[in-house]
Amino acid sequence: MNSLVFLLVKSAKNTLLELRRKPAKLALWVLVIAGIGGIFLLSLFTRQSAAGSLDLVWLKGILFLLILLFVVLAIQKGLANGDAIFDMNDVNLLFVSPVSSRLILMYGIVRMAKTAFLAGFFILFQSNSLSTGFGVGFDAVLLVLLGFMLAVGVLQILSLLIYSLTNGKPGRKLVVRILAVAAFLPLLVYTGVQIAGTGALLPALENTLRSPLTDWTPVAGWASAGAVSLISGDTGSGFLFFGLLVLSGALLVLYIALSNPDYYEDVLVATETAFERKRVLAEGQINPEASSAKKVKVVKTGIGGLGPSAIFYKHLRESFRANRLGLWGVSSVILVLGAALFSLFQRGGDGRILILLQILMWMQIFMIGTGRGLKELYIHYLYLIPESSFQKIVWSNLEIVFKVLVESLVVFGIAGLIMEEPLWLVAEAIAVYTLFSFLLLGINYLSLRWTGADISAGLLVFIYTIAVIVIMLPGLIAATVLGSMVEGTGVLIGLGVLALWELLAAVGCFALSKGVLHNSDMPVLRTGK
Amino acid sequence: MIDVRNMTKKYGKLAANDNINLSVGRGELAVLLGPNGAGKSTLIKSVCGLLRFQGAITIDGHENHTVEAKRLLGYVPEFPVLYPMLTVAEHLEFIAKAYRLEAWEEKGEALLRRFELDDKKMKLGKELSKGMQQKVSVCCALLPQPKAVIMDEPLVGLDPHGIRELKAVIAKLRDSGCALLVSTHMIESVEEDWDVTYIMVKGRIARVCRRTDLAAGQSLEDVYFTITEGKGQEDKP
Repeated sequence: MNSLVFLLVKSAKNTLLELRRKPAKLALWVLVIAGIGGIFLLSLFTRQSAAGSLDLVWLKGILFLLILLFVVLAIQKGLANGDAIFDMNDVNLLFVSPVSSRLILMYGIVRMAKTAFLAGFFILFQSNSLSTGFGVGFDAVLLVLLGFMLAVGVLQILSLLIYSLTNGKPGRKLVVRILAVAAFLPLLVYTGVQIAGTGALLPALENTLRSPLTDWTPVAGWASAGAVSLISGDTGSGFLFFGLLVLSGALLVLYIALSNPDYYEDVLVATETAFERKRVLAEGQINPEASSAKKVKVVKTGIGGLGPSAIFYKHLRESFRANRLGLWGVSSVILVLGAALFSLFQRGGDGRILILLQILMWMQIFMIGTGRGLKELYIHYLYLIPESSFQKIVWSNLEIVFKVLVESLVVFGIAGLIMEEPLWLVAEAIAVYTLFSFLLLGINYLSLRWTGADISAGLLVFIYTIAVIVIMLPGLIAATVLGSMVEGTGVLIGLGVLALWELLAAVGCFALSKGVLHNSDMPVLRTGK
Repeated sequence: MIDVRNMTKKYGKLAANDNINLSVGRGELAVLLGPNGAGKSTLIKSVCGLLRFQGAITIDGHENHTVEAKRLLGYVPEFPVLYPMLTVAEHLEFIAKAYRLEAWEEKGEALLRRFELDDKKMKLGKELSKGMQQKVSVCCALLPQPKAVIMDEPLVGLDPHGIRELKAVIAKLRDSGCALLVSTHMIESVEEDWDVTYIMVKGRIARVCRRTDLAAGQSLEDVYFTITEGKGQEDKP
């Protein structure tokens, strides 16, 4: 058997066999597959009744923006050190073996498809949102995923090619930057003209999305237009745009293989960088700032506080040094802008802020882990500081509490203004969101305390997610029941009950996780293969 | 000073540490030796209170999770993990503030000078090489002037100057009455100063060897290979 085919088959087989030895991982996969299957079945039954309120052109817009983000990342990676399509074991074992470098490149590209699929995995869970929003079924979700995977695949090869062509050549890097802007410039100009012409943002965006300029914009336009064309039954256009993606990918591969058979040096930096990132993670450095190439200017120095409060002041110093907005970085800006855009779409209906609240609460389940407080658990200093565990945890998480409070004030304040929601509803949304974040912190510590952190990170996240659902359920039921009993002020009472439950549950979680620093192992992020 | 009694640490069915007994007195340098996977790092992390375990671990009579025990303890981990957005000087300042140290500045300066970090004070954690990070990690551990110091492979990644200085620091700490527990693969690096060696194999202490136990002409390396190559016999501490 060809050595590369052997590697692919054996790796796939061993991955499956590994599941037999790790029942927790197997259960996780079974649940994920069951979840996708469940969503598929649900979509079969709900499809007829789901009358989407939004035009498919907005789906094209969302997909376009999502892929645009990957385009920017791919170009940035290409200009920095390329994309990692190989692992260090490939470099150490395959690159030095007497196997054709072109065949090895093909092997890398086949494996890359797995990365593209995993990157788009979250799309599979969007069936319900797409069904409610656009009145489409699970087949549409698969088409969106296909478009996304094709685009990500092409972008990974493009990134590799950009690196190969521009490495150590500032002039060429400038050309790539100019070309990248030029590719999107017509669309940008067209959008500007539309805004000036219509005088309103939404109609202008709609006109832009309907124009051929969007469809023919490289990669992002092709993928979004291809997926939406196929969903709306225009198979000719669909195949044309998806065909363009496949063709461009094939041409890029062909170019690399024919022009540069000695591409090993070009992929080495990216592979080593990715390997180093994994190694640093496995050694306990989970802070993404550690591997960021961003230049940081040290202006103000010093740490305030005394005893456990020094942890909070340290977090302030780190956050303000990492970005000018301090606790509120780029993610906060994106959150505010995204919520404002969402509010523009939802303007006009009653209680639409509750949909925003629901979406942000789902996001917060996973975003809460980005706080510095929970990251401290992976570094030994927190455990060794000779102060009370409770105080250390409180001071360690004060930063995220401040961050969330201010974020929710701004997000719901702006959303409330745009959607013209009553002040009491906005205030309650702020309370529910902030207290929910407080509860999530409590559940994080409780999950650690209960499991002792002696399990894989994936399983820990799974247990945490289940715990969030279980703990929130009584509050949600009570809020729904009590809210529906009163006419007129039902929503007010319902949200109030939910906020109160979140507070009580959070206090309960923190109380039950008492002594978590002594009763759990210092967690280690296992980065897998 | 450091006392480990009937300590067992299990990961599922695997006993990473199996009924360990170990003690390190004041002014004593105890060395942990053993092949990869013997359980040295697990034992060290358990002593520092970073892992749960069965049994008892005390530092100067205080249970190792207590504030009193932590005040006496200094730990240099196997992998130096610094805060990427703090400068070298701020790492020391953070430790000083968190441990409520007084008049720490001079001591901090001396440590930085000793490890040739005095010109790197304004460098961020993420800008340092692994060796430099290891040096900062050592400085952070020693700044509170602990009475019990635990080091996990402290010499890995250090340059020759760093190795020489750390060996000197270890000797000085021992002479000043500090209890030291050091895990290492570099047997020759501790050959001069060790007092007692615990050789671990498969999660158990296979041999406790005091310097006075060595026969004439016998080195620590000889003892180590005798045990790890299966010719030794178990010896309870």
